[in-house]
Amino acid sequence: MDENPQLHSRRTLNLRFDIPISKTQEFWEALKKGKLVSTKCMKCGNVSFPPQADCPKCMGGEFEWVDLGTDATLVTFTHVRVTPASFAANGPYTIAIAELESGLKALAWLEGAEQQSVKPGMKLKVAARDGGEGNPYYVFVPA
Amino acid sequence: MSRVAVVGIGHSRFGKRTDVTLGELAFESIKQAVDDAGVDKGDIGNVVVGSAGGWYEESLPAVVVNEYAGLSGAGTMRVEAACASGSAAVKAAYNSIMSGETDVAMAVGVEKMTEVDTPTSVELIGRAGSYVWEFENYGMTFPAYYALYAVAHMNKFGTTEEDLSRVSVKAHRYGAMNPLAQFQKEITLEKAMGSPVVSWPLKLYDACPLSDGSAAVVLASEELAKKLSDTPIWIKGVGYSSDTANLSRRDDYVGLRAAVSAAAKAYAMAKVAPGDVDVATAHDCFTIAELMAYEDLGFCKKGEAAKMIREGQTEIGGRIPVNLDGGLKAKGHPIGATGVSMAVEITKQLRGEAGKHQAPIRNGVGLVHNIGGTGHYAYVTVLSRD
Repeated sequence: MDENPQLHSRRTLNLRFDIPISKTQEFWEALKKGKLVSTKCMKCGNVSFPPQADCPKCMGGEFEWVDLGTDATLVTFTHVRVTPASFAANGPYTIAIAELESGLKALAWLEGAEQQSVKPGMKLKVAARDGGEGNPYYVFVPA
Repeated sequence: MSRVAVVGIGHSRFGKRTDVTLGELAFESIKQAVDDAGVDKGDIGNVVVGSAGGWYEESLPAVVVNEYAGLSGAGTMRVEAACASGSAAVKAAYNSIMSGETDVAMAVGVEKMTEVDTPTSVELIGRAGSYVWEFENYGMTFPAYYALYAVAHMNKFGTTEEDLSRVSVKAHRYGAMNPLAQFQKEITLEKAMGSPVVSWPLKLYDACPLSDGSAAVVLASEELAKKLSDTPIWIKGVGYSSDTANLSRRDDYVGLRAAVSAAAKAYAMAKVAPGDVDVATAHDCFTIAELMAYEDLGFCKKGEAAKMIREGQTEIGGRIPVNLDGGLKAKGHPIGATGVSMAVEITKQLRGEAGKHQAPIRNGVGLVHNIGGTGHYAYVTVLSRD
């Protein structure tokens, strides 16, 4: 056991961030309707995921929103047992990276699958979930 | 081109260090490194401090560390490259000598990760990616990031959970020979395989611990290094690269392309090949990371890392001994200190001062492979006796 004397600090630091989403608002609005959309550069045609207003390939600043569809194929996954402090109430969960029809990939929870049945190559669907306070998020579910 | 050498090394005991503050912990290494180099501390023109921070009370570690050691007045900065912050600090110190700004510079790596509770540490490291897209809704953890790579490597190349555990057994065997290591006890394959799952397929014994610790190296210009030391260890090659924050933007999950790129640059600059390396440290924050390092560094062909560990090719007596100080797994991984600790270990090996865990040195070439995040940053450094 640790018996060294300590100064147990009385001053706590509680950080909660307000993160701007004005440039990706269409993504979040579409997600509320169950659609996964992202940004396509008008100059070079590069589609990014996650969406971003400025093209990381050619640095072009004009883009349009395109539908990425909801079909996906599992690439890799993990079953998380030891969770971060802020996920203590969530219990174990499965995180997957899956490839969308366009070849772009996304990372999300995989819900509703028997742990033993999860394998690379399995067919998945993207589904929207309500994260509360008007913030949606997406998950994968077995197709 | 002029050269830069390591002329002084210092290393604290790694582990849960509730006996020291950040400044006191850094001082343990700084004092040893300055004494070992035989320099006047007033001659150190640049002190670069590698520290990721966030889990200790100080916001400006560089100035706190310098004040405690009486180094205020020197040029300084804190550098961050996640778990490669230490190598980034060595590189920044190296650059300040190569540019002619100073003849003596020091890289100090220091981290105190155990002043906050473990779930908070897990949270802080879990945020080491793309926050909104990986953490906010999905609670990624550091083991989870590497587990995604482990599953892909197992699926593509037939690497097994036992192969991962073999890396841990090797780490603990050498950790038992290192009096500064956090864990100095050998373990069995059964113990590693039977340990609780953290993020499947990674288990407790696949993961490095949370650690407090420091390490320091004093670097000098060629002319000064030859005066100061009979055994200057030259920094022959430095390669560095990076990759996307978001893992979903990677091509595959069976290797770290930033590491491949950093290694190619370091080998080219040093004019050496993987086969010339006598001894190496590889960034084994998780067992899968060490296996991928064998492949990314060209120690074996892609997909053959499991064969290398099974055959004992990375032990003393094998083709390229790796992590003879116990690695991050057994020695401990105080994040910002790790890259500097690796430079200290390879310097000891090349000087022939590694004692019980000394590797046979044939070509006089050692290598440091230090990764930040999940291949978000990669630094490869080649050190040499000549």
